[in-house]
Amino acid sequence: MNIELRGVSRRYGTEPVMIHALRDIDLTVTEGEFVVVLGPSGSGKTTLLNVIGALDTPTEGSVVVDGIDISTARRKELFDFRRRSVSFIFQSFNIFPGLTARENVQFGADTAGREDADPLAILESVGLGDRADQFPHELSGGEQQRVAIARALATGNPIMLADEPTGELDFRTGVQILELLREQAGNGRAVLVVTHNREISRIADRVVELSSGAIVSDGPPRGGRADVSDLAW
Amino acid sequence: MRTQTLLLKWSWRDLRANWIKVAAIALVIALGTGTYAGLTSTADWRRLSNDASFGLLSMHDVRVELSEDTVVPRGALEAAAATIPQAAALVGTEERLIFDVLVDAGTTDTEILVPGAIIGTDVTGGGPSVDGLHVATGRPLGDDDAGADTVLLEHNFASYYELPDSGTVTISGNRSLSYVGSAMTPEFFFVAPEGQIFFSEANYAALFTSLETAQHLGGRSGVVNDLVVTLDEGVDAEIVAAEIQAAIETGLGVGSDTEIKADNPSFRALTEDVENDQQIYNLFAFLLFGGAVTGAFNLITRLVEQQRREIGAAMALGVPTRRIAVRPLLVGAQIALLGVVFGIGIGVLIGNAMRGVLTDFLPLPIWITDFRWSIFVGVAIAGFLVPFAASAWPVWRAVRVKPIEAIRAAHLTGGKRKRRRRFRRLPGSTLTVMPFRNLARARRRTALTMIGIAAVITVLVGFLGMVDSFLTTLDRAEIEALGDQPERITVDLDGFYPTDSEEVEAVVGASSVGRSQAGLRAGGIASTADDSFTMLIELIDLDNDLWSPTLVDGAVDGPGPSLVLAREAAKDLGVGVGDTVSLRFPVRTGPDTFAIASERIPVSAIHPYPIRTFAFMDLDHAELFGLEDRVNVIQVVPGAGFDDIDVKRELLSLETVGSVQSVASATEAVRDAMGQIVGILSVIAIAIFVLALLIAFNSASINLDERSREHATMFAFGVRVRTALRMAVTESLVIGLVATALGILGGLAMLWWVTSQLLSTTVPDFGVDIVLNPGTILMAVLLGVIAVALAPVFTIRRMRRMNLPGTLRLVE
Repeated sequence: MNIELRGVSRRYGTEPVMIHALRDIDLTVTEGEFVVVLGPSGSGKTTLLNVIGALDTPTEGSVVVDGIDISTARRKELFDFRRRSVSFIFQSFNIFPGLTARENVQFGADTAGREDADPLAILESVGLGDRADQFPHELSGGEQQRVAIARALATGNPIMLADEPTGELDFRTGVQILELLREQAGNGRAVLVVTHNREISRIADRVVELSSGAIVSDGPPRGGRADVSDLAW
Repeated sequence: MRTQTLLLKWSWRDLRANWIKVAAIALVIALGTGTYAGLTSTADWRRLSNDASFGLLSMHDVRVELSEDTVVPRGALEAAAATIPQAAALVGTEERLIFDVLVDAGTTDTEILVPGAIIGTDVTGGGPSVDGLHVATGRPLGDDDAGADTVLLEHNFASYYELPDSGTVTISGNRSLSYVGSAMTPEFFFVAPEGQIFFSEANYAALFTSLETAQHLGGRSGVVNDLVVTLDEGVDAEIVAAEIQAAIETGLGVGSDTEIKADNPSFRALTEDVENDQQIYNLFAFLLFGGAVTGAFNLITRLVEQQRREIGAAMALGVPTRRIAVRPLLVGAQIALLGVVFGIGIGVLIGNAMRGVLTDFLPLPIWITDFRWSIFVGVAIAGFLVPFAASAWPVWRAVRVKPIEAIRAAHLTGGKRKRRRRFRRLPGSTLTVMPFRNLARARRRTALTMIGIAAVITVLVGFLGMVDSFLTTLDRAEIEALGDQPERITVDLDGFYPTDSEEVEAVVGASSVGRSQAGLRAGGIASTADDSFTMLIELIDLDNDLWSPTLVDGAVDGPGPSLVLAREAAKDLGVGVGDTVSLRFPVRTGPDTFAIASERIPVSAIHPYPIRTFAFMDLDHAELFGLEDRVNVIQVVPGAGFDDIDVKRELLSLETVGSVQSVASATEAVRDAMGQIVGILSVIAIAIFVLALLIAFNSASINLDERSREHATMFAFGVRVRTALRMAVTESLVIGLVATALGILGGLAMLWWVTSQLLSTTVPDFGVDIVLNPGTILMAVLLGVIAVALAPVFTIRRMRRMNLPGTLRLVE
């Protein structure tokens, strides 16, 4: 499933207070890619992720996913798109505090209509098989983020969008999370990770660097792709 | 000063940011305080107006009524009273002649034929001086009316039928009287004549006239049968009553019944009813206010939760705790203040509405309905302090945590680890499970919301249940009274006549009368260690095929006299079938004289009629009263081709007939009055509906705020808005179901309290069943379940317009 952005701009507000979050973005992401979107705070990387994930719509340009232009889609189609095509991982996890780890994962499967999904197996795949019946407040930050990844995996959707997934985690836990995300790209998904941490970009297949809403570079990491175990910050 | 100004501005911003919820809670507080202030003002008005009205017309402190058919020469009763040890305490005395008549006040449009009484008293010199007459319409009676065929109608009766200020009425014996107006008198401020249910204005016509006219109409020249007395303040009326009764019995050789002011049905109904209503208002206000306080508590808790990290940051910066607490407390104070200000407005509105209702419903000569500042100020203070105190609790808790706990993101704060050890796995999809998990997660708010709504439902069920209970009891009375003879008519004779007399034959043989059954009605006082009250004992052939009471317990088969008591009477006297009661009753000793006797009479059976004063005895035992082979009451049914009006018209021409009343009409007036009460309750029900909706909306709105990130996450995963809404509705539905169940239980408890505790003092003769009709339960369910469940629908706009990226990016 390919993602194609053509001439995408996103502006907020009205003149004279107009914020250009994205400016004329052209970007293509193909299935199996692990893409890191890099940039300082305010560079537009989260907006880019939101536009790809149909949480936001571009002011100009088109976003075509698997041949469907979601920038002109109706509200219902956007909901369907999110349910069938993308899954999110957030910096502050956003897992449901009222549900156990297993139920949070089950939620992902339920919304995507995947009756065959096995939440426990997915939790085991992220190393949380023994924590399935714990509530979020009984889990550490790293465990909560792993539940969030498991939830995203449970959807079975081909595009995984992660916004600063290690932002609230310590280094060791962050590395574990990145390893998990990296594995997903290997499984045929397109994974886009937004971060301001340049070190993380070293493990990407491709690094898209943004500045003031515009792509300033797009290509493999400088010095070649590193292994997760090589990371340090 | 700058800090204070900043905090004030900041708290206003908090208010504005939550203005919908703030307005909802302020309205809830306003409804609680306003309703209480408005209703309590009406109670105060009634107290003041009662005192002024009873005082204006010098209501009697003691009334002495000679035994039935007994009269004494004018002046004899006052002379007897003057001989009592406490004669010096008698301030005013007034002799009267009172006898029953049938009154035809029909107009060209309406048939009005009801039992009533001629009340003859001294009208000269602006009299009577005791139980005076306040002329509401027309002119007063004066010296020229002494002996003339002029009367004043009792005002409630005239008003009920909207009779003109003057006209003519016809009484038993086809005698035509001119009425020159209508008058109020303390005994009829609230119409509850002996032997009738209260609210009897449609079925009872008292005619006030001069003593001479009454004597002339009754064919009893120069006699009286009733004495009313006013006493010096502080004198024990019961002692004086007993002394006068003894003096009459000793000096005149006749029996009498006495009544003190506090036992007068009109006085008791009006004065005690105010106190009872006040207690109901208190409970009503307490429950509504409870709902308001839970709402305020929920909102302030949410605000404090929103400010948790700000509070932590302030603590870390060394800001004193009390200064940190000021901002959320200011919010609480402003909400409470807003609620109180709205509440005063609502109170004034309710007061104005109630003023009209009261003056129509309970006509008194003096109504004092000024604005009750003291009540409003008291309510305003309470209305401010209680919600404010409720807001202080979450603030106090928030400023007691360690700064690090407050600053850290919620998902890192841990705690609450003892919760939810059970139910870690629930069946069903996560979208089904989540509402129940959410309820369990916010247990305190869930509980508070349930309590708030349950309190409101309690008020609704309590009030509507009162109507149900009254109407069901009336139905019971009607079923029992009508039996299989719905056209049954009771004919009261003006004295005791031999069963084979021409007076009795005139009734029984009247062309419009079909079947008939003669009997006796005698008064008496039944006593046990538990209670003592006046009874009307009907002596009838209990095996007759016209009508006899249903026996729900026991049987009348013994050889000696025995009583069939009403269930309420048996309960109050603490007796059952086989027990005995002490009965004090008049025994006929001569053509116009009675003496008082006492006997212990066994209770043979219980009947279901809801008025405890009605008792029955077999006519075979009339000799107990010295009335063998005599009758004063005849039950009749119209003959073929005739109706009750025909019977009334025909019997009206007989001078010996005191009253003719169809049994069915007795409950009609009460139903009319209940209709008005239901109307008032409907208004209250609407207010309650709004209140429940506000509480539910408030809770739903807080839920939406608190779970905005969860909703945003769901939407990010493609969950539709309608699915999220369905989940919110499910949560509210569960809250509504539990709250409604609690509210119905609470309403039943309130109903029990009102009927068993309050009404037993106001209308002790009336045994009210505790009943909740399906309609009331349906109303409670509609309000508590359907309306509450649908409250989240009002948040759909906010859900649809949610800024997903912004909400998802929020970092706590």
